[in-house]
Amino acid sequence: MLKVLGKTLRSEFSLYVISFFGFLLLWDWVAKEQILGRSLAPPLDVLKELHRLTTVKLAGKDLFGHIWDSTRRVFIGFAIGAVFAVPLGLLMALNRYINALVKPVFDIFKPMPPIAWISIAILWFGIEEASKIFIIVIGAFVPCLLNAYNGVRLIDPELYDVIRMLGGNRRAEILHVSFPAAFPAIFSGLQISLSIAWTCVLAAELVSSRSGLGWIIIQGMRLTRPDLVIGGMAIIALVAWLTTLLISGLERLICPWKRGIKEGYL
Amino acid sequence: MAYEAVKVKTPLIIKILSAASIVTFFGGWELIVDLGIVPSTMLAAPSTVFKLFIVKLTDPNPDGALLQTHAWISIQEAGIGYLLSLLIGIPLGLFMGWFTVVRGIFRPLFEIIRPIPPIAWIPLCIFWFGIELWGKVFIIWIGGVVPCVINAWTGVNMTNPTLIQMARTYGASDWQIFRKLCIPSALPMVFGALQITLAICWTNLVAAELLAADSGLGFLITMGRRLALPEMVVLGMVTVGVAGALIGVAIDALEKRLLAGIRR
Repeated sequence: MLKVLGKTLRSEFSLYVISFFGFLLLWDWVAKEQILGRSLAPPLDVLKELHRLTTVKLAGKDLFGHIWDSTRRVFIGFAIGAVFAVPLGLLMALNRYINALVKPVFDIFKPMPPIAWISIAILWFGIEEASKIFIIVIGAFVPCLLNAYNGVRLIDPELYDVIRMLGGNRRAEILHVSFPAAFPAIFSGLQISLSIAWTCVLAAELVSSRSGLGWIIIQGMRLTRPDLVIGGMAIIALVAWLTTLLISGLERLICPWKRGIKEGYL
Repeated sequence: MAYEAVKVKTPLIIKILSAASIVTFFGGWELIVDLGIVPSTMLAAPSTVFKLFIVKLTDPNPDGALLQTHAWISIQEAGIGYLLSLLIGIPLGLFMGWFTVVRGIFRPLFEIIRPIPPIAWIPLCIFWFGIELWGKVFIIWIGGVVPCVINAWTGVNMTNPTLIQMARTYGASDWQIFRKLCIPSALPMVFGALQITLAICWTNLVAAELLAADSGLGFLITMGRRLALPEMVVLGMVTVGVAGALIGVAIDALEKRLLAGIRR
Protein backbone atom coordinates (compact mmCIF):
# COMPACT_ATOMS: atom_id res chain seq x y z
CA MET A 1 0.00 0.00 0.00
CA LEU A 2 2.73 2.43 1.02
CA LYS A 3 4.71 1.41 -2.03
CA VAL A 4 1.80 2.34 -4.31
CA LEU A 5 1.44 5.65 -2.53
CA GLY A 6 5.15 6.38 -2.89
CA LYS A 7 5.04 5.53 -6.60
CA THR A 8 2.03 7.80 -7.15
CA LEU A 9 3.79 10.67 -5.46
CA ARG A 10 6.84 10.22 -7.63
CA SER A 11 5.04 10.14 -10.98
CA GLU A 12 4.54 13.60 -12.40
CA PHE A 13 1.32 12.87 -14.23
CA SER A 14 -0.60 11.51 -11.26
CA LEU A 15 0.52 14.54 -9.28
CA TYR A 16 -0.93 16.77 -12.01
CA VAL A 17 -4.27 15.02 -11.68
CA ILE A 18 -4.22 15.21 -7.88
CA SER A 19 -3.25 18.87 -7.92
CA PHE A 20 -5.91 19.80 -10.48
CA PHE A 21 -8.77 18.12 -8.65
CA GLY A 22 -7.42 19.30 -5.32
CA PHE A 23 -7.58 22.85 -6.67
CA LEU A 24 -11.18 22.40 -7.86
CA LEU A 25 -12.23 20.88 -4.53
CA LEU A 26 -10.55 23.64 -2.52
CA TRP A 27 -12.16 26.28 -4.73
CA ASP A 28 -15.56 24.61 -4.31
CA TRP A 29 -15.11 24.40 -0.54
CA VAL A 30 -14.00 28.03 -0.16
CA ALA A 31 -16.95 29.17 -2.26
CA LYS A 32 -19.55 27.01 -0.51
CA GLU A 33 -18.34 27.94 2.98
CA GLN A 34 -18.34 31.59 1.83
CA ILE A 35 -14.91 32.23 3.37
CA LEU A 36 -14.47 35.17 1.01
CA GLY A 37 -18.03 36.32 1.54
CA ARG A 38 -20.33 36.00 -1.46
CA SER A 39 -17.62 37.06 -3.86
CA LEU A 40 -16.58 33.62 -5.13
CA ALA A 41 -18.73 31.22 -7.10
CA PRO A 42 -18.19 27.45 -7.00
CA PRO A 43 -16.85 25.94 -10.23
CA LEU A 44 -20.11 24.18 -11.11
CA ASP A 45 -22.07 27.45 -10.89
CA VAL A 46 -19.59 29.05 -13.27
CA LEU A 47 -20.05 26.22 -15.76
CA LYS A 48 -23.85 26.46 -15.46
CA GLU A 49 -23.72 30.22 -16.00
CA LEU A 50 -21.57 29.78 -19.11
CA HIS A 51 -23.95 27.16 -20.44
CA ARG A 52 -26.90 29.47 -19.79
CA LEU A 53 -25.16 32.29 -21.67
CA THR A 54 -24.86 30.19 -24.84
CA THR A 55 -28.64 30.42 -25.23
CA VAL A 56 -29.67 33.54 -23.30
CA LYS A 57 -28.83 36.84 -24.91
CA LEU A 58 -26.91 39.43 -22.90
CA ALA A 59 -27.15 42.93 -24.39
CA GLY A 60 -28.40 41.50 -27.67
CA LYS A 61 -25.67 38.91 -28.08
CA ASP A 62 -25.11 35.39 -26.81
CA LEU A 63 -21.77 34.18 -25.48
CA PHE A 64 -20.40 33.38 -28.94
CA GLY A 65 -21.33 36.84 -30.16
CA HIS A 66 -19.29 38.41 -27.36
CA ILE A 67 -16.36 36.08 -27.98
CA TRP A 68 -16.45 36.99 -31.66
CA ASP A 69 -16.56 40.73 -30.86
CA SER A 70 -13.42 40.56 -28.75
CA THR A 71 -11.59 38.23 -31.12
CA ARG A 72 -12.40 40.44 -34.10
CA ARG A 73 -11.01 43.50 -32.34
CA VAL A 74 -7.85 41.63 -31.37
CA PHE A 75 -7.22 40.35 -34.88
CA ILE A 76 -7.88 43.66 -36.65
CA GLY A 77 -5.63 45.58 -34.26
CA PHE A 78 -2.98 42.88 -34.20
CA ALA A 79 -2.92 42.66 -38.01
CA ILE A 80 -2.60 46.43 -38.46
CA GLY A 81 0.15 46.62 -35.84
CA ALA A 82 2.13 43.72 -37.26
CA VAL A 83 1.79 44.82 -40.89
CA PHE A 84 3.34 48.20 -40.09
CA ALA A 85 5.76 47.26 -37.30
CA VAL A 86 7.56 44.24 -38.77
CA PRO A 87 8.62 45.88 -42.07
CA LEU A 88 9.57 49.06 -40.20
CA GLY A 89 11.71 47.07 -37.77
CA LEU A 90 13.41 45.24 -40.64
CA LEU A 91 14.05 48.49 -42.49
CA MET A 92 15.48 50.09 -39.34
CA ALA A 93 17.87 47.21 -38.86
CA LEU A 94 18.97 47.12 -42.51
CA ASN A 95 19.33 50.83 -43.20
CA ARG A 96 21.10 53.08 -40.73
CA TYR A 97 19.58 56.28 -42.11
CA ILE A 98 16.05 55.05 -41.50
CA ASN A 99 17.23 53.86 -38.11
CA ALA A 100 18.62 57.30 -37.24
CA LEU A 101 15.29 58.87 -38.21
CA VAL A 102 12.86 56.51 -36.50
CA LYS A 103 14.73 55.18 -33.46
CA PRO A 104 14.79 58.39 -31.36
CA VAL A 105 11.02 58.89 -31.72
CA PHE A 106 10.34 55.20 -31.13
CA ASP A 107 12.45 55.31 -27.96
CA ILE A 108 10.18 58.02 -26.60
CA PHE A 109 7.08 55.85 -27.03
CA LYS A 110 8.62 52.52 -26.08
CA PRO A 111 8.43 52.75 -22.26
CA MET A 112 4.80 53.93 -22.20
CA PRO A 113 2.47 51.06 -21.34
CA PRO A 114 -0.16 50.68 -24.12
CA ILE A 115 -2.89 50.81 -21.51
CA ALA A 116 -1.88 54.38 -20.64
CA TRP A 117 -3.14 55.30 -24.13
CA ILE A 118 -6.74 54.36 -23.36
CA SER A 119 -7.70 57.81 -22.12
CA ILE A 120 -6.24 59.65 -25.06
CA ALA A 121 -7.74 57.11 -27.46
CA ILE A 122 -11.17 57.83 -26.02
CA LEU A 123 -10.57 61.58 -26.39
CA TRP A 124 -9.58 61.06 -30.01
CA PHE A 125 -11.88 58.35 -31.27
CA GLY A 126 -14.78 58.26 -28.82
CA ILE A 127 -15.85 55.01 -27.21
CA GLU A 128 -16.59 53.15 -30.45
CA GLU A 129 -14.57 50.40 -32.13
CA ALA A 130 -11.83 52.73 -33.39
CA SER A 131 -10.48 53.61 -29.96
CA LYS A 132 -10.23 49.94 -28.92
CA ILE A 133 -8.48 48.95 -32.11
CA PHE A 134 -6.11 51.92 -31.73
CA ILE A 135 -4.95 50.68 -28.32
CA ILE A 136 -4.42 47.16 -29.63
CA VAL A 137 -2.40 48.54 -32.56
CA ILE A 138 -0.21 50.51 -30.13
CA GLY A 139 0.24 47.49 -27.87
CA ALA A 140 1.06 45.11 -30.72
CA PHE A 141 3.38 47.58 -32.42
CA VAL A 142 6.24 47.78 -29.91
CA PRO A 143 7.18 44.09 -29.48
CA CYS A 144 6.75 43.39 -33.22
CA LEU A 145 9.10 46.20 -34.13
CA LEU A 146 11.64 45.45 -31.40
CA ASN A 147 11.84 41.77 -32.26
CA ALA A 148 12.14 42.31 -36.00
CA TYR A 149 14.84 44.91 -35.33
CA ASN A 150 16.83 42.81 -32.87
CA GLY A 151 16.25 39.67 -34.93
CA VAL A 152 18.21 41.19 -37.81
CA ARG A 153 20.81 42.96 -35.69
CA LEU A 154 21.75 39.93 -33.61
CA ILE A 155 22.44 37.70 -36.64
CA ASP A 156 25.82 36.03 -36.41
CA PRO A 157 28.11 38.11 -38.67
CA GLU A 158 29.80 34.93 -39.86
CA LEU A 159 26.62 34.09 -41.78
CA TYR A 160 27.09 37.26 -43.81
CA ASP A 161 30.73 36.32 -44.38
CA VAL A 162 29.59 33.00 -45.85
CA ILE A 163 27.24 34.58 -48.36
CA ARG A 164 29.89 37.13 -49.33
CA MET A 165 32.44 34.36 -49.88
CA LEU A 166 29.94 32.74 -52.22
CA GLY A 167 29.82 35.97 -54.21
CA GLY A 168 26.47 37.29 -53.02
CA ASN A 169 25.65 40.97 -53.24
CA ARG A 170 23.71 43.06 -50.71
CA ARG A 171 20.40 41.82 -52.09
CA ALA A 172 21.40 38.20 -51.61
CA GLU A 173 22.57 38.99 -48.09
CA ILE A 174 19.19 40.42 -47.19
CA LEU A 175 17.11 37.76 -48.92
CA HIS A 176 19.09 34.68 -47.93
CA VAL A 177 20.53 35.64 -44.55
CA SER A 178 18.73 38.53 -42.89
CA PHE A 179 15.15 37.44 -43.51
CA PRO A 180 15.36 33.72 -42.75
CA ALA A 181 17.59 34.27 -39.73
CA ALA A 182 15.28 36.92 -38.31
CA PHE A 183 12.12 34.84 -38.77
CA PRO A 184 12.15 33.05 -35.39
CA ALA A 185 12.64 36.36 -33.56
CA ILE A 186 9.82 37.94 -35.58
CA PHE A 187 7.50 35.09 -34.67
CA SER A 188 8.27 35.32 -30.99
CA GLY A 189 7.55 39.04 -31.33
CA LEU A 190 4.17 38.15 -32.84
CA GLN A 191 3.46 35.83 -29.92
CA ILE A 192 4.25 38.55 -27.38
CA SER A 193 2.18 41.05 -29.37
CA LEU A 194 -0.78 38.73 -29.42
CA SER A 195 -0.81 38.27 -25.66
CA ILE A 196 -0.44 42.03 -25.21
CA ALA A 197 -3.28 42.53 -27.69
CA TRP A 198 -5.54 40.37 -25.51
CA THR A 199 -4.61 42.38 -22.44
CA CYS A 200 -5.30 45.60 -24.33
CA VAL A 201 -8.68 44.56 -25.68
CA LEU A 202 -9.68 43.51 -22.21
CA ALA A 203 -8.57 46.81 -20.69
CA ALA A 204 -10.38 48.78 -23.39
CA GLU A 205 -13.57 46.77 -22.91
CA LEU A 206 -13.39 47.12 -19.14
CA VAL A 207 -13.12 50.90 -19.41
CA SER A 208 -15.86 51.43 -21.97
CA SER A 209 -17.83 49.10 -24.22
CA ARG A 210 -21.18 47.50 -24.85
CA SER A 211 -20.02 44.06 -25.92
CA GLY A 212 -17.11 41.65 -25.69
CA LEU A 213 -15.63 39.45 -23.00
CA GLY A 214 -14.30 42.39 -20.98
CA TRP A 215 -17.84 43.75 -20.94
CA ILE A 216 -19.14 40.43 -19.57
CA ILE A 217 -16.61 40.65 -16.74
CA ILE A 218 -17.40 44.27 -15.89
CA GLN A 219 -21.12 43.48 -16.07
CA GLY A 220 -20.57 40.69 -13.56
CA MET A 221 -18.79 43.17 -11.34
CA ARG A 222 -21.60 45.73 -11.52
CA LEU A 223 -24.23 43.12 -10.73
CA THR A 224 -21.99 41.48 -8.07
CA ARG A 225 -22.18 38.18 -9.93
CA PRO A 226 -18.87 36.35 -9.34
CA ASP A 227 -19.99 33.45 -11.53
CA LEU A 228 -20.23 35.82 -14.50
CA VAL A 229 -16.82 37.35 -13.70
CA ILE A 230 -15.03 34.02 -13.33
CA GLY A 231 -16.81 32.60 -16.38
CA GLY A 232 -15.61 35.57 -18.43
CA MET A 233 -12.06 35.12 -17.14
CA ALA A 234 -12.08 31.43 -18.03
CA ILE A 235 -13.34 32.10 -21.56
CA ILE A 236 -10.70 34.78 -22.13
CA ALA A 237 -7.95 32.46 -20.94
CA LEU A 238 -9.24 29.74 -23.24
CA VAL A 239 -9.58 31.94 -26.34
CA ALA A 240 -6.21 33.65 -25.75
CA TRP A 241 -4.58 30.27 -25.37
CA LEU A 242 -6.19 28.99 -28.60
CA THR A 243 -5.01 32.00 -30.62
CA THR A 244 -1.49 31.47 -29.25
CA LEU A 245 -1.63 27.87 -30.45
CA LEU A 246 -2.71 29.17 -33.87
CA ILE A 247 0.38 31.40 -34.12
CA SER A 248 2.79 28.67 -33.05
CA GLY A 249 1.16 26.32 -35.58
CA LEU A 250 1.69 28.94 -38.29
CA GLU A 251 5.27 29.35 -37.17
CA ARG A 252 5.97 25.65 -37.50
CA LEU A 253 4.44 25.74 -40.97
CA ILE A 254 6.26 28.82 -42.24
CA CYS A 255 9.69 28.46 -40.68
CA PRO A 256 10.44 24.82 -39.93
CA TRP A 257 14.14 25.58 -39.34
CA LYS A 258 13.27 27.04 -35.98
CA ARG A 259 12.54 23.61 -34.54
CA GLY A 260 15.15 22.67 -31.99
CA ILE A 261 15.91 26.24 -31.02
CA LYS A 262 15.03 26.29 -27.36
CA GLU A 263 13.05 29.31 -26.37
CA GLY A 264 10.57 28.63 -23.63
CA TYR A 265 10.46 32.01 -22.00
CA LEU A 266 8.29 34.90 -23.14
CA MET B 1 34.37 35.52 -31.86
CA ALA B 2 37.84 35.22 -33.20
CA TYR B 3 38.39 38.86 -34.01
CA GLU B 4 38.25 42.08 -32.06
CA ALA B 5 35.27 44.30 -32.68
CA VAL B 6 36.32 47.38 -34.63
CA LYS B 7 35.08 50.62 -33.11
CA VAL B 8 33.35 52.70 -35.76
CA LYS B 9 32.65 56.36 -35.10
CA THR B 10 29.07 57.40 -35.76
CA PRO B 11 29.10 59.53 -38.93
CA LEU B 12 27.96 63.12 -38.53
CA ILE B 13 25.01 62.68 -40.89
CA ILE B 14 23.52 59.99 -38.62
CA LYS B 15 23.78 62.24 -35.58
CA ILE B 16 22.18 65.11 -37.49
CA LEU B 17 19.33 62.87 -38.68
CA SER B 18 18.64 61.66 -35.13
CA ALA B 19 18.59 65.18 -33.73
CA ALA B 20 16.44 66.40 -36.64
CA SER B 21 13.92 63.64 -36.09
CA ILE B 22 13.45 64.53 -32.42
CA VAL B 23 13.19 68.24 -33.18
CA THR B 24 10.70 67.62 -36.00
CA PHE B 25 8.62 65.39 -33.75
CA PHE B 26 8.25 67.93 -30.94
CA GLY B 27 8.07 70.89 -33.34
CA GLY B 28 5.37 69.21 -35.41
CA TRP B 29 3.42 68.27 -32.30
CA GLU B 30 3.59 71.86 -31.00
CA LEU B 31 2.62 73.28 -34.40
CA ILE B 32 -0.40 71.09 -35.16
CA VAL B 33 -1.91 72.11 -31.84
CA ASP B 34 -0.95 75.80 -32.01
CA LEU B 35 -2.19 76.19 -35.58
CA GLY B 36 -5.44 74.50 -34.64
CA ILE B 37 -5.11 71.54 -37.05
CA VAL B 38 -5.95 69.31 -34.09
CA PRO B 39 -8.36 70.97 -31.64
CA SER B 40 -6.86 71.63 -28.21
CA THR B 41 -9.66 69.57 -26.63
CA MET B 42 -8.07 66.48 -28.17
CA LEU B 43 -4.36 67.05 -27.84
CA ALA B 44 -2.24 69.36 -25.73
CA ALA B 45 0.90 71.03 -27.06
CA PRO B 46 4.18 70.07 -25.38
CA SER B 47 4.53 73.58 -23.97
CA THR B 48 1.10 73.29 -22.29
CA VAL B 49 2.05 69.92 -20.85
CA PHE B 50 5.29 71.37 -19.49
CA LYS B 51 3.44 74.29 -17.92
CA LEU B 52 1.02 71.89 -16.24
CA PHE B 53 3.99 69.84 -15.03
CA ILE B 54 5.41 72.89 -13.22
CA VAL B 55 2.00 73.76 -11.79
CA LYS B 56 1.27 70.21 -10.63
CA LEU B 57 4.44 70.14 -8.56
CA THR B 58 2.88 72.61 -6.12
CA ASP B 59 -0.87 72.62 -6.81
CA PRO B 60 -2.97 69.58 -5.82
CA ASN B 61 -6.05 70.73 -7.83
CA PRO B 62 -8.11 69.51 -9.65
CA ASP B 63 -7.42 65.85 -8.92
CA GLY B 64 -6.58 66.11 -5.24
CA ALA B 65 -2.86 65.36 -5.05
CA LEU B 66 0.52 66.65 -6.16
CA LEU B 67 2.25 64.98 -9.09
CA GLN B 68 5.01 63.60 -6.87
CA THR B 69 2.40 62.15 -4.48
CA HIS B 70 0.74 60.32 -7.39
CA ALA B 71 4.10 59.06 -8.60
CA TRP B 72 5.15 57.95 -5.12
CA ILE B 73 1.90 56.02 -4.57
CA SER B 74 2.29 54.28 -7.92
CA ILE B 75 5.93 53.40 -7.28
CA GLN B 76 5.01 52.03 -3.85
CA GLU B 77 2.29 49.77 -5.25
CA ALA B 78 4.42 48.60 -8.14
CA GLY B 79 7.41 48.09 -5.84
CA ILE B 80 5.54 45.90 -3.34
CA GLY B 81 3.94 43.85 -6.13
CA TYR B 82 7.29 43.51 -7.89
CA LEU B 83 9.17 42.36 -4.78
CA LEU B 84 6.42 39.89 -3.89
CA SER B 85 6.47 38.38 -7.39
CA LEU B 86 10.26 37.99 -7.19
CA LEU B 87 10.12 36.54 -3.67
CA ILE B 88 7.50 33.95 -4.56
CA GLY B 89 8.07 33.44 -8.29
CA ILE B 90 11.81 32.84 -8.38
CA PRO B 91 12.08 30.19 -5.63
CA LEU B 92 8.93 28.51 -6.96
CA GLY B 93 10.39 28.42 -10.49
CA LEU B 94 13.71 27.06 -9.23
CA PHE B 95 12.01 24.31 -7.21
CA MET B 96 9.66 23.49 -10.10
CA GLY B 97 12.65 23.08 -12.35
CA TRP B 98 14.37 20.49 -10.18
CA PHE B 99 11.92 18.68 -7.87
CA THR B 100 9.28 16.47 -9.49
CA VAL B 101 6.90 16.75 -6.56
CA VAL B 102 6.87 20.55 -6.60
CA ARG B 103 6.43 20.56 -10.37
CA GLY B 104 3.64 18.01 -10.17
CA ILE B 105 1.71 20.06 -7.64
CA PHE B 106 2.19 23.57 -8.96
CA ARG B 107 2.33 23.10 -12.71
CA PRO B 108 -1.43 22.60 -13.28
CA LEU B 109 -2.24 25.64 -11.15
CA PHE B 110 0.38 27.66 -12.98
CA GLU B 111 -0.94 26.61 -16.39
CA ILE B 112 -4.46 27.62 -15.35
CA ILE B 113 -3.40 31.08 -14.18
CA ARG B 114 -0.89 31.79 -16.92
CA PRO B 115 -3.21 32.53 -19.89
CA ILE B 116 -5.53 34.82 -17.87
CA PRO B 117 -4.55 38.44 -18.56
CA PRO B 118 -3.80 40.04 -15.16
CA ILE B 119 -6.31 42.80 -15.93
CA ALA B 120 -9.10 40.23 -15.88
CA TRP B 121 -8.52 39.82 -12.14
CA ILE B 122 -9.49 43.42 -11.42
CA PRO B 123 -13.20 42.78 -10.66
CA LEU B 124 -12.41 39.85 -8.36
CA CYS B 125 -9.76 41.97 -6.66
CA ILE B 126 -12.29 44.70 -6.03
CA PHE B 127 -14.64 42.10 -4.51
CA TRP B 128 -11.89 40.69 -2.32
CA PHE B 129 -9.69 43.64 -1.37
CA GLY B 130 -11.64 46.78 -2.29
CA ILE B 131 -9.80 49.53 -4.16
CA GLU B 132 -7.11 49.89 -1.52
CA LEU B 133 -3.42 49.14 -1.87
CA TRP B 134 -3.62 45.35 -1.64
CA GLY B 135 -6.03 44.90 -4.53
CA LYS B 136 -3.58 46.60 -6.85
CA VAL B 137 -0.64 44.75 -5.35
CA PHE B 138 -2.45 41.47 -6.05
CA ILE B 139 -2.96 42.33 -9.73
CA ILE B 140 0.66 43.40 -10.11
CA TRP B 141 1.81 40.28 -8.31
CA ILE B 142 -0.23 37.85 -10.38
CA GLY B 143 1.09 39.40 -13.60
CA GLY B 144 4.69 39.52 -12.39
CA VAL B 145 4.92 36.06 -10.93
CA VAL B 146 4.45 34.35 -14.33
CA PRO B 147 7.68 35.50 -16.05
CA CYS B 148 9.62 34.92 -12.80
CA VAL B 149 8.53 31.30 -12.63
CA ILE B 150 9.08 30.67 -16.35
CA ASN B 151 12.58 32.16 -16.38
CA ALA B 152 13.77 30.47 -13.18
CA TRP B 153 12.37 27.16 -14.40
CA THR B 154 13.98 27.49 -17.83
CA GLY B 155 17.25 28.48 -16.15
CA VAL B 156 17.31 25.28 -14.06
CA ASN B 157 16.42 23.21 -17.11
CA MET B 158 19.37 24.68 -18.97
CA THR B 159 21.88 23.31 -16.44
CA ASN B 160 24.53 21.34 -18.25
CA PRO B 161 23.49 17.65 -17.89
CA THR B 162 27.12 16.51 -17.94
CA LEU B 163 27.78 18.46 -14.77
CA ILE B 164 24.74 16.90 -13.10
CA GLN B 165 25.89 13.40 -14.06
CA MET B 166 29.36 14.15 -12.78
CA ALA B 167 27.98 15.39 -9.47
CA ARG B 168 25.87 12.21 -9.21
CA THR B 169 28.91 10.05 -9.87
CA TYR B 170 30.71 11.75 -7.01
CA GLY B 171 27.73 10.99 -4.77
CA ALA B 172 26.08 14.38 -4.49
CA SER B 173 22.54 14.36 -3.15
CA ASP B 174 19.60 15.88 -5.03
CA TRP B 175 19.60 18.87 -2.73
CA GLN B 176 23.35 19.43 -3.14
CA ILE B 177 23.07 19.34 -6.94
CA PHE B 178 20.17 21.78 -6.77
CA ARG B 179 22.06 24.19 -4.51
CA LYS B 180 25.54 23.99 -6.03
CA LEU B 181 24.75 23.43 -9.71
CA CYS B 182 21.22 24.34 -10.69
CA ILE B 183 20.87 27.64 -8.85
CA PRO B 184 24.17 29.15 -10.05
CA SER B 185 23.55 28.10 -13.64
CA ALA B 186 20.01 29.52 -13.53
CA LEU B 187 21.18 32.93 -12.28
CA PRO B 188 21.56 34.69 -15.65
CA MET B 189 18.03 33.66 -16.63
CA VAL B 190 16.74 34.78 -13.24
CA PHE B 191 18.31 38.17 -13.71
CA GLY B 192 16.77 38.31 -17.17
CA ALA B 193 13.42 37.94 -15.44
CA LEU B 194 14.03 41.09 -13.37
CA GLN B 195 13.64 43.39 -16.39
CA ILE B 196 10.73 41.53 -18.00
CA THR B 197 8.85 41.37 -14.72
CA LEU B 198 9.39 45.04 -14.07
CA ALA B 199 7.94 46.04 -17.44
CA ILE B 200 4.91 43.80 -16.88
CA CYS B 201 4.38 45.11 -13.34
CA TRP B 202 4.48 48.70 -14.51
CA THR B 203 1.92 48.04 -17.29
CA ASN B 204 -0.42 46.25 -14.92
CA LEU B 205 -0.12 49.02 -12.38
CA VAL B 206 -1.46 51.53 -14.89
CA ALA B 207 -4.29 49.16 -15.77
CA ALA B 208 -5.20 48.59 -12.15
CA GLU B 209 -5.21 52.30 -11.43
CA LEU B 210 -7.28 53.14 -14.48
CA LEU B 211 -10.14 51.04 -13.16
CA ALA B 212 -9.92 51.17 -9.43
CA ALA B 213 -8.03 53.93 -7.67
CA ASP B 214 -8.34 57.28 -6.00
CA SER B 215 -4.71 58.27 -6.48
CA GLY B 216 -1.67 57.31 -8.51
CA LEU B 217 -0.46 58.04 -12.05
CA GLY B 218 -3.11 55.87 -13.74
CA PHE B 219 -5.75 57.76 -11.78
CA LEU B 220 -4.24 61.05 -12.96
CA ILE B 221 -4.72 59.90 -16.57
CA THR B 222 -8.31 58.86 -15.93
CA MET B 223 -9.11 62.15 -14.22
CA GLY B 224 -7.60 64.01 -17.17
CA ARG B 225 -10.05 62.24 -19.44
CA ARG B 226 -13.06 62.80 -17.17
CA LEU B 227 -12.27 66.50 -16.85
CA ALA B 228 -11.51 66.69 -20.60
CA LEU B 229 -8.01 68.04 -19.92
CA PRO B 230 -5.76 66.49 -22.57
CA GLU B 231 -2.68 68.11 -21.04
CA MET B 232 -3.29 66.14 -17.85
CA VAL B 233 -3.66 62.89 -19.79
CA VAL B 234 -0.43 63.51 -21.67
CA LEU B 235 1.37 64.57 -18.48
CA GLY B 236 0.30 61.31 -16.81
CA MET B 237 1.43 59.26 -19.80
CA VAL B 238 4.80 61.00 -19.97
CA THR B 239 5.38 60.57 -16.23
CA VAL B 240 4.52 56.88 -16.46
CA GLY B 241 6.88 56.47 -19.41
CA VAL B 242 9.76 58.40 -17.83
CA ALA B 243 9.42 56.69 -14.44
CA GLY B 244 9.27 53.27 -16.11
CA ALA B 245 12.35 54.01 -18.18
CA LEU B 246 14.29 55.31 -15.14
CA ILE B 247 13.48 52.23 -13.03
CA GLY B 248 14.48 50.04 -15.98
CA VAL B 249 17.87 51.79 -16.23
CA ALA B 250 18.40 51.38 -12.48
CA ILE B 251 17.64 47.65 -12.60
CA ASP B 252 19.95 47.27 -15.58
CA ALA B 253 22.83 48.94 -13.71
CA LEU B 254 22.20 46.80 -10.64
CA GLU B 255 22.12 43.67 -12.78
CA LYS B 256 25.44 44.56 -14.44
CA ARG B 257 27.09 45.09 -11.07
CA LEU B 258 25.75 41.90 -9.48
CA LEU B 259 26.41 39.75 -12.52
CA ALA B 260 29.91 41.11 -13.17
CA GLY B 261 31.57 37.71 -12.75
CA ILE B 262 28.95 35.50 -14.39
CA ARG B 263 29.10 34.58 -18.05
CA ARG B 264 25.88 35.40 -19.90
